[in-house]
Parts: sequence; C-alpha cells; structure tokens
Amino acid sequence: MGEAQKGLLSVIEKLKGSTEQEVRIVLLGLDNAGKTTLLKSLASEDVNTITPTQGFNIKSVASHGMKLNVWDIGGQRKIRPFWKKYLENTDLLIYVIDSADKKRFEETGLELSELIDEENLKGVPVLVFANKQDLETASPASEIAEGLNLHTYRDREWQIQACSAVSGEGVQDGMNWICNNIVNKKK
Amino acid sequence: MAEEDSEWIIESIVGYLGSPEWVIPVTDFMEHKCTVFDDEDENKLSYTEIHQQYKKLVEKLLENYMQEVGINEQQFLDACTSPFAKSQSLQDMFQPVLATDDFQVFRSLMVQKNMELQLQALRVIKEKNGALPECLTDGVDVMTELEQQEMKILEEVLKKSKEEYDEEMSRRLLSEKKTGSTSSRSSNKPNTEDDEAREATLTSKQSNSSKRTPDSGSSSIQCRVLPALRSPTKSSKSSNASSHQTVEQSDSREAAAEAYLEEAHREAGFSKPYTELLPSEQEQLQQRAAYLRQQRDKLHALKKEQQKIRQTAALEEPPASPTPAPTANSEISAEEKKKLQKRKHLADKLKEEVIKK
Repeated sequence: MGEAQKGLLSVIEKLKGSTEQEVRIVLLGLDNAGKTTLLKSLASEDVNTITPTQGFNIKSVASHGMKLNVWDIGGQRKIRPFWKKYLENTDLLIYVIDSADKKRFEETGLELSELIDEENLKGVPVLVFANKQDLETASPASEIAEGLNLHTYRDREWQIQACSAVSGEGVQDGMNWICNNIVNKKK
Repeated sequence: MAEEDSEWIIESIVGYLGSPEWVIPVTDFMEHKCTVFDDEDENKLSYTEIHQQYKKLVEKLLENYMQEVGINEQQFLDACTSPFAKSQSLQDMFQPVLATDDFQVFRSLMVQKNMELQLQALRVIKEKNGALPECLTDGVDVMTELEQQEMKILEEVLKKSKEEYDEEMSRRLLSEKKTGSTSSRSSNKPNTEDDEAREATLTSKQSNSSKRTPDSGSSSIQCRVLPALRSPTKSSKSSNASSHQTVEQSDSREAAAEAYLEEAHREAGFSKPYTELLPSEQEQLQQRAAYLRQQRDKLHALKKEQQKIRQTAALEEPPASPTPAPTANSEISAEEKKKLQKRKHLADKLKEEVIKK
C-alpha cells in the first residue's frame, strides 16, 4: 500500500473540479427492509415496481447545496459479505429496518453491530430509518432504538427516524438530519 | 513560471492520453471487460470488481507516465486545473481518467463500449451476409429481418443511454451554474459531436476491416449465420462443440457466456426463465449464444490486428488533430436525430411484435 497511490487517487478526485460538496452515503439493511424504495423515494422516482436487489443501485440527490451520492446495496444474506467493499470513504451510513418484521430484529441488530465495528466506518455518523411505519404492526422507533442499543454509541453521531418510504413520511426529516450533520462535520 | 509549466505539462498529458501506450491498454481493458455491462438501472456486483481493476490499471499507467516525464502529482494537478485544460475536447479526453474516481462515469463508458461492440458485430455480420447469394436462398430473409430488429433495439438502447448521459451532464452543468461557476461549456453539442465521431470511426474501421481481411474468418461467418435458429437439431452438435471449446479457453468467458445467453434469451422473446424452457428452445438459445460469442471473438481479433497496424502507422506519422469541423457536425446531427427518431419508432414496433410472439 503505497502512499503514492493514495496521492494519485486524490489528484484524480480533484480533477473533477466541481465546487459542489459531494457526500458518499451507503444505504444498508436486511433484505426487504425497503432500502431501494427509500432510495427511489429520495430521488423522487416511482416506488411501485421495485424488485429485490441482486446488485446495487446508485442515485445522486442534490440537497442543501450538496450532492449526495447514495449507494444502495442488496441486503440478501448471500450479498451481505459484499457490503465491506462499499464502505471505503463513506461519509454516512443509513441503516434501514423493517419495523414490522419483529422476528428479524435480532438479525438486523447483529448486522448493524458488525458494520459499526468496521474500520472503514469508524466514527461515521449513522442514521437508522425505522421504516414501514405505515403498517399497523410496526414497532415504534424508540423501541427499536432500545433494541439496537443505539444509546451506547459513544464514538459517533447517530439518529433514529421513523418513516414510511412508500408514503415518504419522515424521509425528509432524516435527510435534514443528514445535511445538518454532514455540514457540521465537514466544516 | 507556473503557467508556462502548466502549458507544456498539459500538452504532454494530452499527448500521452492519445498515445498507444495509454490508448491500447485502456481500450483493451474496456473491450474485454465490457461484456457484462448492460443498461439496466441496477448494477451488478461484478461491476465493482472490474472498476477496482480499472483503477489499478490507470494508476499504474499514470504513475509510469509521470515518472517518465519527471513531474509530480502536484504539477499534474496544477496543469489539469489550469485554464489550458478547460476546453471541452480536453475534458472529454479526461473522461477515462475521471472514470477511476467516479463509478458512474466508468459505468457509462463501459455500457457505451459494450453497445459499440455489439453494433459493430451486427454490422459486420450484415455486410458479410448480404454479399452471399447462397444464404439468400437459404432463408436469409428471415435472418436479416431478425438482425435488423436487433440493430434497431440496440440503437434504441444506445440512444437512450446517450440521452441519459446528456441529461446528467446538463444537470451537472445546471448545478455548476447555480454555484456561480462562469464556465460556459455546453454539454449537448460536444456530446453529439463525440457520438458522431465515434460513429464515423466505427464505420471506417469496419470498412477497413472488411477490406484488409477479406478472407480471414469470413467464410465461417457466412455459413454459420444463424442456421441455428432455423434448423436447431441439425447444427446443434457442432455449435455445442464450439461452445465447449470456448468455455475451456478461459474461465472469464463464463460470465460473458452468461450474458450472451441472457441476451439471446431476450432476443428470442421467451418470457420464461431459461431453465424452464423446452430442451429445444434451450438448445436454440445456446446456439445463439455461442454464435454471438464467436462473432465477438472474431471482432476482438480484428480490432487487435487493426491496432497493430495503427500502431505502426502512428510511429511514422504524427497523430492527427481529433477535432472535427463543428459546422458540418451540427447539420448532420439534425439529420441524425431524425433518423434516430425513425429508428426508434421502428424499434418500438418490432419490440412489440417480438413480445407478442
């Protein structure tokens, strides 16, 4: 791992010459949590024709004068080992949870805690979306936060936001938190 | 002093990006790896792996170059961000470099390359096909119709990807303007120019290739032109054998083969997944895939040959300026647009027919 390589990459990065601040966001969570729906909802696209993601999706969203490059990577068990490859240079992690899928709360908690320990995500702020609040069986965000032990995170900013990616409710609040947080952090 | 430095460095960089030392490995990489890149919204996991490989390649090339010329990264950066580097044609040249840092740029380059190769392959087939009277009696009508259909669909997809790209560029431009940048480059026109230039080279390359290698492989192309779909039982053995061969050749082909199968599958308009098809249908698809693969390999061989020729030519004469006359281009682009629209219409119709079958 040469220092020179790092330097060259940063050179190329600067070549883009855009004055706009770019933010890399990785969107993760179990399969069927609603990651792609959330992504499309962020990009104001149709959310009615979404199929399970086998690979990954990228959307760039302009918000608060920043360009948010959001990477949504498939959440099926067999794809999860690939998550690691997408964490480098990440500015923020969005973790999506199906609030109505109580049976898999433990599984999703384990995945999240593994991510938090990743070297590439050290100190990276986390936004947890407690998705599918439009369903009657959905657990409230506070309960999920407790289950995930979010309050024990001392090394980073975190936030939990109840939302429904289908209706769009709560999504913008989450984005506002992101923008405020990134602005604070990068300045 | 710094400005003077930038000027010669930029000239040197541009020279390098146009030289065989850069062009050959980069083009080679793209042509070999582009087969899995389709125009679907969703990205395959394998794209990331290929992007990593590409990064390594470009880094290595640029490092070697900088060492050779004796400039450091800061000088490189200064030169590239100096006013001399702001022209659109230079920005276009930098696309393959920017692709290392920007996955989206990389992806669109690879998708475009894949389309180009496929279109080129289809044209070669068509050219060689049309010149063979025996094939005409052998029911080539059906086949050319199918090929045309493929071409139309491909062209349609190409156009769409270009539109998307243009859109993205103009969006970027817009946001750039918003942030108060004074650059006034228009994203649309140079892109169409670019496209046409590519189109032009495509056709010229192709005519070159058919002139230069009148014999190599043409006979095999001609007689294999899709008897596959017409009489599946008869030719199944030979094409199976050939597909085995290619599979053995290298593992990396497997991914490509899959893509071909998928493609053949779509072309044939089967709505069921591959495994649920009748054996005969599966066979047909396999033959089609093997056939497309052969065409692709032939094309690779041809291009390699041409590159060699070009390389030797490049050594003898200085590289010509790549900028085409702008006036002629805008005229063509209007015509071209009309043509494209017609094609799109036709393609839509054909698609409908295929789906109904």
